[in-house]
Amino acid sequence: MFSLLVVLLGGGCKEEQYTYGVEDVLVQPVDLSGKKSKTPEQYLNILYANLYQKAMSANQLVKATDVITSIGDKQVAYETVISKFMNDPNIILPTEESMRTDPEAFVKETYQRFFVRVPTEAEKTWMINFINSHPDVTPEHVYYSFAIANEYYFY
Amino acid sequence: MKRRDFIKKSALATGAITVPYILPTGRLFAQTGSQMAQHVVLVMFAGGVRHQESILQKYLAESQELDIEGNIMYNMLTGDAPELKVVYGTTPAGQQPGVQPISRILQTPLDQQGTLFPEVRFSKAGTGHFVGLSTGVSGHYGVTQGLRQRPINPTIFEYVRRYTNAKATDCWFVGNGIGNSTPLLNHSDHPDFGYRYAANFFAPNITFGSKGVEFLKGFKVYHPDEELVPIREMQAFLNNSFNLAGKEIPHLYNTDEEKADIKDFIRTTFERLENNQVSFPPVTDNGDLSTIGYTTEILRWFKPKLTVVNMSSVDSCHGSYTSYLKSLHRGDHAVGHLWNFIQTQVPEMKDNTVMMIMPEHGRNYEPNPITDENDWFAFDHDSDANSRRIFTQMVGPNVPANLRVGSELNPVGDAADTVVTIADILGIKQDVLARGLVENNAMSLFDRI
Repeated sequence: MFSLLVVLLGGGCKEEQYTYGVEDVLVQPVDLSGKKSKTPEQYLNILYANLYQKAMSANQLVKATDVITSIGDKQVAYETVISKFMNDPNIILPTEESMRTDPEAFVKETYQRFFVRVPTEAEKTWMINFINSHPDVTPEHVYYSFAIANEYYFY
Repeated sequence: MKRRDFIKKSALATGAITVPYILPTGRLFAQTGSQMAQHVVLVMFAGGVRHQESILQKYLAESQELDIEGNIMYNMLTGDAPELKVVYGTTPAGQQPGVQPISRILQTPLDQQGTLFPEVRFSKAGTGHFVGLSTGVSGHYGVTQGLRQRPINPTIFEYVRRYTNAKATDCWFVGNGIGNSTPLLNHSDHPDFGYRYAANFFAPNITFGSKGVEFLKGFKVYHPDEELVPIREMQAFLNNSFNLAGKEIPHLYNTDEEKADIKDFIRTTFERLENNQVSFPPVTDNGDLSTIGYTTEILRWFKPKLTVVNMSSVDSCHGSYTSYLKSLHRGDHAVGHLWNFIQTQVPEMKDNTVMMIMPEHGRNYEPNPITDENDWFAFDHDSDANSRRIFTQMVGPNVPANLRVGSELNPVGDAADTVVTIADILGIKQDVLARGLVENNAMSLFDRI
């Protein structure tokens, strides 16, 4: 009797559980969690390197940081400094021809340069469409947009 | 009509009738108090002003054991200037340094135009610059507050923006520089206030000085339609693709129009500088005077509801008494120029502005061992009784003229009163007091008269 009970309880039909090692992932835009905001020094250093393709001198960095600190609204401060850089003939920008000839390469390179990542397919498609549908947009406008975007304030 | 729709629409209709519209400031209605003036300018005559050389007009008599008294602040105070050992003025070619006093700007000194509280007290905390400035703008002695830290309690800027629905460009803090914690005084870290209600800030000697020339002057102005529209469109797309995960990039809640206006102001100020059109005081030979000059540009352009400007040159008294006297004299010149400018160059603010002047703290009675080129002793500020003696001066509409309130034996007023007084002038005193975040004993100076 006892043996029968053991067989009935222990040997019952049991549905097998499979584990694939895949967890649910919430798909969302580029995430800020784990990122830190850049200090003015970091922002300026990286910006300068992105636009001039060389490092900012220590002396220039101190002066530029002071200028940013002297203006309360940092967005105003950064945008003004960036647009000052944009007026400098020494800035290194892609040519409009290269952007128009191969917008995909231009968009990929711009994401890599400013955000240090590859664009998603959606991002790439939107940017390419935007460039193609706006004949007056220049590489400078695109660079300016990336430099004042929220993502660029973080690293 | 289905029942759910009926309930939803009924609720909406009822809400429209009974629930008042809540303003973005968190208030239901506009300010309740009456305004004495629509604009306030607070001059933080900071750096540590010794009572003996300012209010008491002792010149060298209670500092260097020389029997020479006199008033070197004759735009602010009534009294004759010293006749001997004049070192505080300008230096004409070939003459002794500082021998030429700067001409007065105001024919009637401010103490006759308004009310003077000659014996105000900096009653708590150590007499340090940042604690003093922080107390001046927050009405709260940050006894435990460290350097490089924003005020713990809300500043008057935050109260004004929150309770009067003021725009960000309605409130300005103009700093004499970016050292220490000066750029941090335009708003507090208080969780109920903070940067959402901050003042705009300029340290104009840097913004428009050689550094600003290098990194700002001549910045590119994009066409608002042909260039900025696609730029903003791309920026919006990039921002939408970037999840801030509940965080927010701190900014001052200037609207896009205000940001454009600030940029336009920066561009125009560089142009006015180039054309010698900036209204600097007649004598502008130190940082305080140029700061005041740029402040007049801010007043002319933005006509702010509240402007606080910080001076600091008198702090040279740590090492040079002669330099201190010069700075004190120039501070008075700066204040005279500012008041004259408001009354003559900004019609919207003329007769509609109350100006207040207050040092952030005083200086010691006893000197330190350092002597200057005249063998005069210097003075620090170490929280002795003398360094707690300050004054407050008010002038403008609804401020009684030619009135002195208080004396050495009967001090009236506290450094923490400034915030409540400004709130009183702008009609939000009850709102500020109701928050309970200023010193318990803080009062409007109008209530102390």
